[in-house]
Amino acid sequence: MRGLIERLCTSYGPAGREEQVRAAIITEIVKLNESYTVDTLGNLVVHKSAAAGKKILVAAHMDEIGLMVTYIEENGFLRFTNLGGIPPGILWGLRVVFADGLVGVIGQEKIEGTRKPDLKQHYIDIGAADREEAQARVKIGDSAVYFAPVYQAGKRLSAKSLDNRIGCVVLLETLKRLGGLTLPVEVYFAFTVQEEVGLRGARTAAYRLKPDYGLAVDVTRVGDTPEPDFKTGVALGKGPAIKIMDSAVICHPGVTRLMQDVAEKKGIPFQPEVLERGGTDAGAIHLTREGVPSGALSIPCRYIHTPAEMVDLDDVENSIALLTELLKSTDW
Amino acid sequence: MHEFLEEISQKDGVSGYEKKVGEVIAEKFSPYIDETRADPLGNLIFYKKGQGKHSPRLMICAHMDEIGLIVTKVEEQGFLRFTSLGGFDARTLPGQEVTIYGRNILPGLIGFKLPHLLTEQEKNRGVKMEDLYLDTGLPAEVVQRLIPVGSVAAIKRNFMTLRHNSRAGKALDDRAGVVSLWQCAKELAKFKHEADLYLVATVQEEVGTRGAVVSTYGISPDVGIAVDVCHGDFPGALEQEVSSMAQGPVVTAGPNIHPAVGERLLQVAKDYHLPHQRDVSPGPTGTDARAIQISLEGIPTGLLSIPLRYMHTSVELVDLEDVKDTGLLLAYFTAGVDRTFVEGLACL
Repeated sequence: MRGLIERLCTSYGPAGREEQVRAAIITEIVKLNESYTVDTLGNLVVHKSAAAGKKILVAAHMDEIGLMVTYIEENGFLRFTNLGGIPPGILWGLRVVFADGLVGVIGQEKIEGTRKPDLKQHYIDIGAADREEAQARVKIGDSAVYFAPVYQAGKRLSAKSLDNRIGCVVLLETLKRLGGLTLPVEVYFAFTVQEEVGLRGARTAAYRLKPDYGLAVDVTRVGDTPEPDFKTGVALGKGPAIKIMDSAVICHPGVTRLMQDVAEKKGIPFQPEVLERGGTDAGAIHLTREGVPSGALSIPCRYIHTPAEMVDLDDVENSIALLTELLKSTDW
Repeated sequence: MHEFLEEISQKDGVSGYEKKVGEVIAEKFSPYIDETRADPLGNLIFYKKGQGKHSPRLMICAHMDEIGLIVTKVEEQGFLRFTSLGGFDARTLPGQEVTIYGRNILPGLIGFKLPHLLTEQEKNRGVKMEDLYLDTGLPAEVVQRLIPVGSVAAIKRNFMTLRHNSRAGKALDDRAGVVSLWQCAKELAKFKHEADLYLVATVQEEVGTRGAVVSTYGISPDVGIAVDVCHGDFPGALEQEVSSMAQGPVVTAGPNIHPAVGERLLQVAKDYHLPHQRDVSPGPTGTDARAIQISLEGIPTGLLSIPLRYMHTSVELVDLEDVKDTGLLLAYFTAGVDRTFVEGLACL
């Protein structure tokens, strides 16, 4: 699994430009001898059919947050905007990488007094001497993502884009463990696009697939660090979180109950989650067509939207176990 | 009508957890309609068949959810941190009684730091939700066992019968609207109507008109009307920001509203000598109407509002005559919706 995490987390795939990470996931799907489809917006879907049974859409987004070039200065520096929630306070000195492997460094203008840094005061330095040299490497509209290695210390693993490549890993590992089993439910595993810019891929995937239930697999914020900026009891290493609510969805009580029942029955640790800020694909799925009862399985994650997101590998293992058992459940 | 309003004001049904109040509502509607169904998110759809062969479809909705609280963290001493489901103003919360839906149903109250103990800085900062907590009086280990994170809580408040037709209590936003839909169904027993009528008690309005998004898709109406509450007059309010209490339902105009639907509502009120008021809203209204209008290929939408004082508190105050007149206006409007009217809506 470590290899899989490494392959997905080092893949390039900002919102709207998911082709490289999609190709990496397709490689894994092919290894599992599964077939797949790709829809109009680029969502990647693996269908596990059952003779009869409820249709469940399990969605993990494969896009990551990124930076998009908006302007190239005369002196060769690149101005950019954000694709998803880039925290401006952390940018100075970071490295970012473009689709073709070109690396840039983020610089910051002088910031007066106690003003908070803002994206507009930053630029990407790709080492170009002037506009012409920069234009030879980069175009307006090109996107970059954080450039960071994967690092593991004990049970803790840190990388860029664990949000939500770790969710993709959970789906792929679940697919692998379900193997040739005949399931009591029909499952669509969807690796969705453009979640970070407004749950866009999941919206169209759910419309096309018409599921009876929706389940998002994504990361969630924790409150187990010194002076966290909001109150939550969710912590690393205490098991997957079963979402009750976030800003985009109030999970269907029937779905959360089933998730908790399965976890309890199988002895899988879990934590209930109320996320005050942030949303997942479940937000888009549950409002599709006439409504889709939905829930979400969350992997606790520190430092979300930085190049050093951190998860606990036991939580990942337990998330796979919970998803696997959930899809084997006859109680949907 | 008083009894029904009191009964559903006293029932709890915070956003996402409307089942209990929905059961009472469904029972009350059933004598006046042909069919009830619940959609996947829990919207209750009461169908009343029209007389015509190619009946137009009219959807009228009022949301049955109320704003509430949800536990985010259990502190070591057994106090519960929470956030709101929908828009509570933190200033209105200290000292309120609550009903907590944990593994058991438990009473509690909202605790806060008293003015005697506040620092100057805290006094200036005002009340914030993160300073407040739920106190059940139970030992920490019992709280930890009985009230997991994610448990919801509703404000508890006895319904008040004030002078004349004034009634006050929690959740009158928008249970008063639900009662007006019921009044409409009752009144329609006296009329023949061509339109197929779908009265909907929607869910999750307070967290972003979510129930209306999916119920409109499911019903696919030719015309949609949302019934909600608007700010009633109070001392210190600017006249243009509020509507008068006891002066009838408020008919909204603005880009969220199809002009011919708004005009027809006003015309029907005039024809039947019902008191009514007008109001304008420049953007998408903060009601189910915003979701209805942009569903499917676009739905001609109207909005009727019941004036209400102290919105999003536990002492929301309405006038029963306004609730009744809203119901009557809906019934008379429904009776006039026919194929010709609906076809006319396409000619802007």
